[in-house]
Amino acid sequence: MNKPHDPSHTLINRDLSWLEFDHRVLGEARDPANLPLERVRFLAITGSNLDEFMMVRVGGIQLLRAQGVVRKDASHLSPHEQLQAIHERVRRLVDDQQHCFARELTPLLELHGVRCVRPADLTADQHDHARRIFEDEVFPLLTPRAIEPDAIFPLLMNLVLRLGVRLAPDPAAVPGGDPARPRYAFISLGKKLSRFISLPAATARYEYILLEDLVAHFIDRLFPGETIEECIPFRITLNADLIVREDLAADLMEQMEAVLEARKQSDCVRLEIDARVGNDQCAFLQEALGVADEDTYRIPGPLDLAGFMALANLSGFDDLRNEHWPPQQSPIVDPTEPVFDAIAARDILLYHPFESFDPVQRFIEEAAADPDVLAIKQILYRTSGDSPIVAALMRAAQKGKYVTAVVELKARFDEARNIEWARALELEGVQVIYGVRGLKTHAKCCLVVRREPDGLRRYMHFGTGNYNESTARLYCDASYFTADADLGVDASQFFNAITGYSEPQAFRKLEMAPVTLRERLIELIQSETERKKQGQPALILAKINALVEPSIVHALYEASQAGVEIRLNVRGICCLRPGVAGVSENIRVVSVIDRFLEHARILYFHQGGEEKVFISSADWMPRNLLRRVELLTPIEDAASKQKLIDILHICLADNVKAHELTPDGRYTKLSPGEDPPVRSQQRLYEIAREATREAAQLRRTVFQPHRPAG
Amino acid sequence: MTSSPSVPPAPPGQIAAQIARVLAVIDVGSTSVRMKIAQVHADGRIDTLETLQQTISIGKDTFTQREISRETIELCVKALRSFALKLREYGLDPARQLRAVATTAVREALNSQAFLDRIFIATGIEVEVLDEAEVARLTYHAAQSLIDQRPNWADSPTLVAEVGGGSTELLVLRGKTIEAARTFRVGSLRMREALETYRAPVGRHRQIMRNQAQRMVNQFRQEADLDGPIRLAVMGGDARFAAAHLHTEWDGRRPVRLDLIPLEALTDEILALSVDELVQKYRLSFPDAETLGPALLTFLELARGVGVDHLHVAVSSMRDGLISELASLTVWTPEFRQQVIRSAIELGRKYHFDEAHGAHVAARSRTLFQALADEHQLPPKFDLLLHVAAILHEVGLYISFKSHHKHSMYLIQNSELFGLGAKDLLLVALVARYHRRAAPKPTHFGYATLDRESRIAVAKLAAILRVADALERSHSQRVRSLEISRKPGKFIITVPDIDDLSIEQMAMRQKADMFEQTYGMRVVLRVGRTTHT
Repeated sequence: MNKPHDPSHTLINRDLSWLEFDHRVLGEARDPANLPLERVRFLAITGSNLDEFMMVRVGGIQLLRAQGVVRKDASHLSPHEQLQAIHERVRRLVDDQQHCFARELTPLLELHGVRCVRPADLTADQHDHARRIFEDEVFPLLTPRAIEPDAIFPLLMNLVLRLGVRLAPDPAAVPGGDPARPRYAFISLGKKLSRFISLPAATARYEYILLEDLVAHFIDRLFPGETIEECIPFRITLNADLIVREDLAADLMEQMEAVLEARKQSDCVRLEIDARVGNDQCAFLQEALGVADEDTYRIPGPLDLAGFMALANLSGFDDLRNEHWPPQQSPIVDPTEPVFDAIAARDILLYHPFESFDPVQRFIEEAAADPDVLAIKQILYRTSGDSPIVAALMRAAQKGKYVTAVVELKARFDEARNIEWARALELEGVQVIYGVRGLKTHAKCCLVVRREPDGLRRYMHFGTGNYNESTARLYCDASYFTADADLGVDASQFFNAITGYSEPQAFRKLEMAPVTLRERLIELIQSETERKKQGQPALILAKINALVEPSIVHALYEASQAGVEIRLNVRGICCLRPGVAGVSENIRVVSVIDRFLEHARILYFHQGGEEKVFISSADWMPRNLLRRVELLTPIEDAASKQKLIDILHICLADNVKAHELTPDGRYTKLSPGEDPPVRSQQRLYEIAREATREAAQLRRTVFQPHRPAG
Repeated sequence: MTSSPSVPPAPPGQIAAQIARVLAVIDVGSTSVRMKIAQVHADGRIDTLETLQQTISIGKDTFTQREISRETIELCVKALRSFALKLREYGLDPARQLRAVATTAVREALNSQAFLDRIFIATGIEVEVLDEAEVARLTYHAAQSLIDQRPNWADSPTLVAEVGGGSTELLVLRGKTIEAARTFRVGSLRMREALETYRAPVGRHRQIMRNQAQRMVNQFRQEADLDGPIRLAVMGGDARFAAAHLHTEWDGRRPVRLDLIPLEALTDEILALSVDELVQKYRLSFPDAETLGPALLTFLELARGVGVDHLHVAVSSMRDGLISELASLTVWTPEFRQQVIRSAIELGRKYHFDEAHGAHVAARSRTLFQALADEHQLPPKFDLLLHVAAILHEVGLYISFKSHHKHSMYLIQNSELFGLGAKDLLLVALVARYHRRAAPKPTHFGYATLDRESRIAVAKLAAILRVADALERSHSQRVRSLEISRKPGKFIITVPDIDDLSIEQMAMRQKADMFEQTYGMRVVLRVGRTTHT
């Protein structure tokens, strides 16, 4: 970590901040207050987070170092220094993960009847069962691949668990060859086989053997007549930080397919290997893959902890998991009434997943079925192919409505899925736009144009989360429905701009990245600074997922120095260093990690009492503000605005699941102490449930006769 | 395409209750192609639904190469294709709910016809080239909303200026009345291109542009008699940029006042930057960056020329004028009719015409036009064209009595009448020409260029004009009222209050042939005895 008081070190390194986030998630995995399978889930999340970090960050910095770049980044670290710090931090994190798994979760789970059986510990009964499973279900899918000496090393798939097998030398095989030379073979365990093989066990117990252990145990079956000297799991991580060269390829679709191909061949940034590996095989892999010692991780326990998500979802054992918090039907949207009528009556703000995502889905489904709807425009980013929203868009197109879907193909790691259903949409007559050249379309907006007795009217949904009903059950996101005429004009202009119908023009109320969003944010911050200097009260509250953009950090420092109170709820990376005297002593940063992923971006500026509140799709990162299409949506409706302000205050008051960022770049877990405990997600859930219950009670006191239709 | 499309009713088959109509206009300008879609409510309120814009520098081609390049044409095709998609999204019928126009940059291009054909073939959009008078009319329509927003401006004159890429419109309004109007071939892009074409040294650019603007202002000041105090209102994207820049809180929806001193500072700042720097600094498109400096400079010169220390930025544009014109049920409002008629009278005075005779014939023509509505089936616009032709039918006498109808024709055709485009002006000129002597022949100059529909309209109008003129043969305005009745094959005009109609009857025998041929009825002129009993 940098020295906090040196004014030249006012920014925290973004990569180390990312790793701090993983560390906080790991803290949840280690927290005995959490239920056992929830702890497994958090551990699995640290695994997948770390995988992503390795893929998207390390390769780029390695490249900088390889090119001899010594220029320091915003946190005053050179590429070399960054890599050193990263490796040091990652190793600690991996040690902590393994400690958590072996020393904490394994015994805890055993205590609750969930046991991982090592091959040596299999009972006779279990052994028979394991053999049968191996013979019937696993063996047919395995293809050992001999690595020929001197032949080109095969391309290995990213993140796939493999067994590396060292075979005894075969003196007869190569006449005149080196008789002592070891031979190697790899076995990919693929993505289709379950990692957890259930074993017969007593009632109310679950015993399993890990796939890699099973295959290693019966490895002889795959190499008849050979002597196997070593069989150990390993996994490689490839650099995914490939920039799509839009200026070169004519057809974006083709190009994305090419990227998927390229990803299979890009540089290896990490080799994870079972710690039992012998030096020969380790050196062989390192050399073949071009991986240095610093990028090689010898792991004492299971590799690919992300795969343990399946164990966290183990059926039965519900008492080892959180009780379900079913999303509540918000009373502001009457399920018996068309969504359009509800929106026409008043703006609607929902906070998912405490409040159900159903109205968003209904909005699009009703639009598809409504004969008066002329057009539907929608951004789809990280949407599932079997999504009811995608199905509704197809139905709308079949009915002759003008349907435009902006499908973002560059959503990281989801390309294969996207391409498939985007083509299906096109076949149904939906106008599919594959994003904007050079920019990722990350804004969340849906526009419905409807013909009504007094003219055309536009209905909009603006959100902070993707149009994906499954993640909507796990992510905290805001949804805003409105029929505001100005926002309607803006929404049309926005779609015209990203579909290329028109050049971007000035908006009435929205702000869009990369055009004006960052400037507008800075203006809003500076306006608080200015007001404070003139003696007015000033306050900035913001809830975002990441704060990296240096110009915003510096604007916030200036605001702090002017005396503006600033309270930030930043889930992940935060490069702002709070609480530094003379720089940022009026800024407090907390981060909440709880059962749902914090994902909403909500901003509040006091504005001399005029209170401006926004929701946004953008995090405060250069990539969001400069290289993505994002929206900042003002919330003017008084009730919706108040609801968001209340949410902000609750999130900022969390003292159960919150960590506070300290000036040295570390995080300290908050505890209620003398204060009443506030667990923000629980509180928000209770509020949603209370509102639903009250509305239900009210309904019970009013009789609603069934009337004939029409 | 006519210059004044009939206003579409709500498309059949839509829900009956729908009163609001959706209309679209496209403007192919010097620096960009734009579309505006608006809905017009039953009470006349107009809401903008969408505005679309693609920057295409047609003016750059025209003003430097004199023709539009292949590449630019294809850019326009691409932009208009996406506009056409948008029209379909709203279910708009381009023939009825769209008006697409082009201005100077297309008008002055040598290959304008090829350009329009290519656009039509590729997109099905028929773009109509507006001439200067029509642009002035639209500017007038757009300026109306400005005056409506500032009722206290009604009493004193306002100079409205729209500085386009290729030309500048100047209008002097007092309330809703136009006191002067003129189009100058001075435009922001044209200025910029001229500097480049003649390789003027950079240090002199500002002075050269100023001189051009000053010449225009001086000329207009003399022509329009701008002596007293006047306020200045400017329109267009460049003006709105300055307003947004100098008033950061401006919402872009109401006219806003700009003081000259900050405007001058902004203009200096902008002229000091290269086009590339402007694009970078203000996130402008290249063509917008090119026109900004010259346009602001022109505003400043206008302000200095008329001696004001501030100006007003109007928010409406020519496209709003197009929309309101497309939306207004009568197409041309009574105020607008009055403007056209006033302008015709001004022209007549210039040639010392018999004003009372012209006005009288015009009034009688109008009566006949209305009485014959079932027979001629012409839209109301032709009433106005006939009116203007009747006022001016004898201006040719200024040249000579001999063939004065032909002199009338070319005088009218070569004059500027407010609000009438070249095609309308030709119709007026022909109707005036055929007020006497030979009936129209396909070989006649001007008449030959008309399409069939227009030829028939000229005949129908000229026939009426001849009858009205015969009624005013005495040049004494004595036939003050008429009663019309019909019998099979006869069109009976009864004139009360006059005992002896022999002069008029003789004239009618000479002049009613054309009426008979056109309408299939013999004109019978009777003394209105019934009213005396």
